[in-house]
Amino acid sequence: MKHEVMIIGGGVVGMAVAYGLARRGRRVCVLDEHDTALKASRGNAGLVWVQGKGAGMPTYAAMSLASSRAWPGFAGELGERTGVDLEFEQPGGVDLCLDDDEVRSRCAEYQTLYDTPWAREAGVRWEYLEGERLQRLLPGLGSDVPGGIWTPHDGHCNPLFLLRALYSACQALGVDVRPHHPVASIDPGEAGFVAHTARGAVSAERLVLACGLGAARLAPPLGLCGRVTPVRGQVLVSERLPAARRLPTPQIRQTASGGYLIGDVLEHVGHDTRVTLDTLHALARRAVTIYPDLASARLVRSWAALRIMTPDGCPVYEASQRYPGAYNLSCHSGITLAAFHADELAAALDDDRLTERYPLFSGGRFDVQAA
Amino acid sequence: MFKRHKRATATPEVTITIDGAPYQVPSTLSVAAAVLMHQGAAGYRRHAAGGHRAPLCMMGVCHDCLITIDEAPNRQGCLVTVEQGMRVRRQIDEAAATATRWVTTTHAGGDDGGERDDADL
Amino acid sequence: MQTCEPRGTVGTDDCNDRARVVVLGAGPAGMTAALRLAEAGLRALVLDQARAPGGQIYRQLDRPQLDAAVMGKDYHRGRSLVGAFLDAARRGEIDYRPGTRVWWIEALDDALDDGLDDALDDGLNDGHRLGVRGHDGISRELVAERLIIATGAMERGWPFPGWQLPGVMQAGAAQILMKQGALLTEGPPVLAGNGPLLYLLAWQYLNAGCPPRMILDTAPNLGLARTLRHPLRAWRARGYLAKGARMLAALRRAGVPIVRGVQSLAAEGDQRLTGVRYRRRGDGQEHRLKTDWLLTHMGVVPEPQLPRGLGIEHHWQEAQQAFVPDRRDDLSVRPGVWLAGDGGGIGGAMNAEREGRLAAQAVLDELMADLMEKPQDTTANVKGAAAPIPDADNRRAIARESARESAALRRRRRSDLSGRRLLDALFTPPADWVERQPGETLICRCEGVSRAQLKAALEAGPAGPNQLKAFTRCGMGPCQGRLCGTNVSRLMASEQGRDMDEVGYYRIRPPLTSITLGELAGLGQTQDRASNPPPA
Repeated sequence: MKHEVMIIGGGVVGMAVAYGLARRGRRVCVLDEHDTALKASRGNAGLVWVQGKGAGMPTYAAMSLASSRAWPGFAGELGERTGVDLEFEQPGGVDLCLDDDEVRSRCAEYQTLYDTPWAREAGVRWEYLEGERLQRLLPGLGSDVPGGIWTPHDGHCNPLFLLRALYSACQALGVDVRPHHPVASIDPGEAGFVAHTARGAVSAERLVLACGLGAARLAPPLGLCGRVTPVRGQVLVSERLPAARRLPTPQIRQTASGGYLIGDVLEHVGHDTRVTLDTLHALARRAVTIYPDLASARLVRSWAALRIMTPDGCPVYEASQRYPGAYNLSCHSGITLAAFHADELAAALDDDRLTERYPLFSGGRFDVQAA
Repeated sequence: MFKRHKRATATPEVTITIDGAPYQVPSTLSVAAAVLMHQGAAGYRRHAAGGHRAPLCMMGVCHDCLITIDEAPNRQGCLVTVEQGMRVRRQIDEAAATATRWVTTTHAGGDDGGERDDADL
Repeated sequence: MQTCEPRGTVGTDDCNDRARVVVLGAGPAGMTAALRLAEAGLRALVLDQARAPGGQIYRQLDRPQLDAAVMGKDYHRGRSLVGAFLDAARRGEIDYRPGTRVWWIEALDDALDDGLDDALDDGLNDGHRLGVRGHDGISRELVAERLIIATGAMERGWPFPGWQLPGVMQAGAAQILMKQGALLTEGPPVLAGNGPLLYLLAWQYLNAGCPPRMILDTAPNLGLARTLRHPLRAWRARGYLAKGARMLAALRRAGVPIVRGVQSLAAEGDQRLTGVRYRRRGDGQEHRLKTDWLLTHMGVVPEPQLPRGLGIEHHWQEAQQAFVPDRRDDLSVRPGVWLAGDGGGIGGAMNAEREGRLAAQAVLDELMADLMEKPQDTTANVKGAAAPIPDADNRRAIARESARESAALRRRRRSDLSGRRLLDALFTPPADWVERQPGETLICRCEGVSRAQLKAALEAGPAGPNQLKAFTRCGMGPCQGRLCGTNVSRLMASEQGRDMDEVGYYRIRPPLTSITLGELAGLGQTQDRASNPPPA
């Protein structure tokens, strides 16, 4: 059976789109790399996060908000289809400000972003909290943390179980997922696209790149934007601890299984995926500053992963002008946007209306800025 | 329980408490060994999923010897040697150290922020 | 979001923050290596997790709890080595740090980018950074210019239904309890599995007047024919074989029932073990036995965390049913790093001592070569070293002597290991044991992941063990995959029809051993009180 759509990349972006397309009856194939390939989908903190996103691009802010609002339905359906509990919760969240400068700059940034007509209309709510009021949301917060910004829109999930559920759901829908198929090159032809791999060629009528940093190599020959750079994040995870009923923050959150995830660093170090001692020490210090009671908690695991960053930090969703039927998706918020990717974006791809629906998200915007 | 062999080399003893009760144990023992000697394997600890567990390897691998020593929870009992006056507490009665799911009906942004409307969820 | 601030020094340090030679582990390999270095006037820094030297095999020999009549001569043979090591440490010839855990290791160069052989030939070595948590509970960093890894072996994770029940322990654990405090189970235990340690423990229990209730052996009838197929190996292994035969005879005389061909095993009980269930090959019947203690053993395997954490390549050894790190003939694994003892592949205590000495010689050879290149460089001599720098003629003589000794050690090692292969053949774990487990068997004890859950996740088509780990949390618990890693690779290999090397193993994530966030943050709050201070 010939594939209608071939997706390059079996991460959380590619699999969400595969799931969305398969639900619409498309015959989909996903090509993925080996077990130890760069996998941002396996190395992130699992935030379904709205606040702070979209500075300079309100459409992206609105998109993040819409996706977070679609998440309960998305998680519910996916859970029902697969029996996998995504551990999704949306209790609101706090982005901590760790010093007074951060308080000032963050508040100013949020005013620009959210004190706007679209945000009011969309019902965005945020508030800077400190002292007793913040303690109520984050019991046991260390006294050295000045404050943080609360919104009701934020939440978190288990990103690994999200990926697992997407794999299971896709499989049940007949998606042909092929690991160990790193793509060497892609030939656009008359009748579709041919991807060449060490295990043979795979062809399909249409082609979607959802290959993270691989876009830098695979996108330009197809007339698509390959401007993605790696940004390293590092995460620590503690042993399981009793539930402390603390809202998630980007700096630290307690997962459903009880461990704390400690992260929120951005490091520009090329393709180096190593954990570093310096950052481990710094993250541990920050964790015990935020929650002093974690000093006696044992570190169980740490890891680093590369996130995908476009020049303006906003996603690229684009169709190739040169090779109709080829699309490129580059984004670094694959968890938050998963609900959007599986539904609206998959529909736009299916209808071949990506450019019409998301004109601002074409990679061409970077050329305009550069000119 | 484990019993000490009658021909064992004479060894100085220390007094520790296990769940509050005092016990004399040879000073060469690890905390995990001392607990096995006086309390046996049953009731050693409860796993996060609820089942009972006891040490498997006694050499730092399995982490099923986790125990509270001098109020510090989750120490590897097989890697810590007993000391005079040490207070050991088994972690059998503690509820599974697993976070329960967040209940979404809880608090919002403070005194006047409690009006978060549930439509946001 | 913000970038983390650069880190300051974590705590001030009574350790040197740079050490010429660091030995990790104070078992037979580590102790022998440190003693050989001390002979040459080189004071090695020895870091060991235990409170006293000896490793697992020579544990507690600083104050043995039971005599040789119970424990056997092989154990007590280690007394002289432990004694010599402690004496050297007291004299300051070895910088011995008990109660110390190495939780971080990293190479300070990228020498491996061109492959192991090129890197070793280039000899580039900028040293290795270690993250060390001392007995005071404070985490410190130090740089090891040369490193001998002697972290030994651990018992294989051997899953069957109910192996998580209190009352089920590994045979090694029972032996540790004997060594540590002359502790024996109250009531005779049932022993199950296979391997020399299982019979050694049975024999020691017998000597102690507490014969095992029964031995459930998973091997088919002992293959004498297999032994005779390799007469040379049999000759080389004659020591092991004779010992085994003596123990077996003693157990038989004492009337300990030995059931062979055990094909399935399950532990029964609710909150603790109350009995075992097993089937034998052939008779198809289920047998039941009441017992409070089940001591299991399925061989030992190299402890993987440190070598794998350092990025050393491993390959699957069918004979040992284990992943074994790649080593060269001189036991080097990277520039400036040697791996000695059972951590490099199971060879036993005698072999470990030999390898420890070989690794130390390799270190000395390298230092001597450095010295010949820069004779004026007095810093090449070592802080605390007793020996003066030899002159050129002496150096050549020393080098010749060293080469002779190394060659002899290598010959002995080859011969001994060749005999050892016969033991591997006699005690091969059933390769399909894990695949044959029923759905209820926990593969990952820490996260409670069952065979059935893994099977379901495998159906979702994960690319490898790391993705399977992500899908199920299998291997994400505090043991960091030590007990399930190989079994998971095994399941995946059989399910996907791939070979073990292709499937591979979990990526090792730091920390290599437990450390608290407070310790990591430099607070040193959760000090273990129970570690003896360094003897120096």
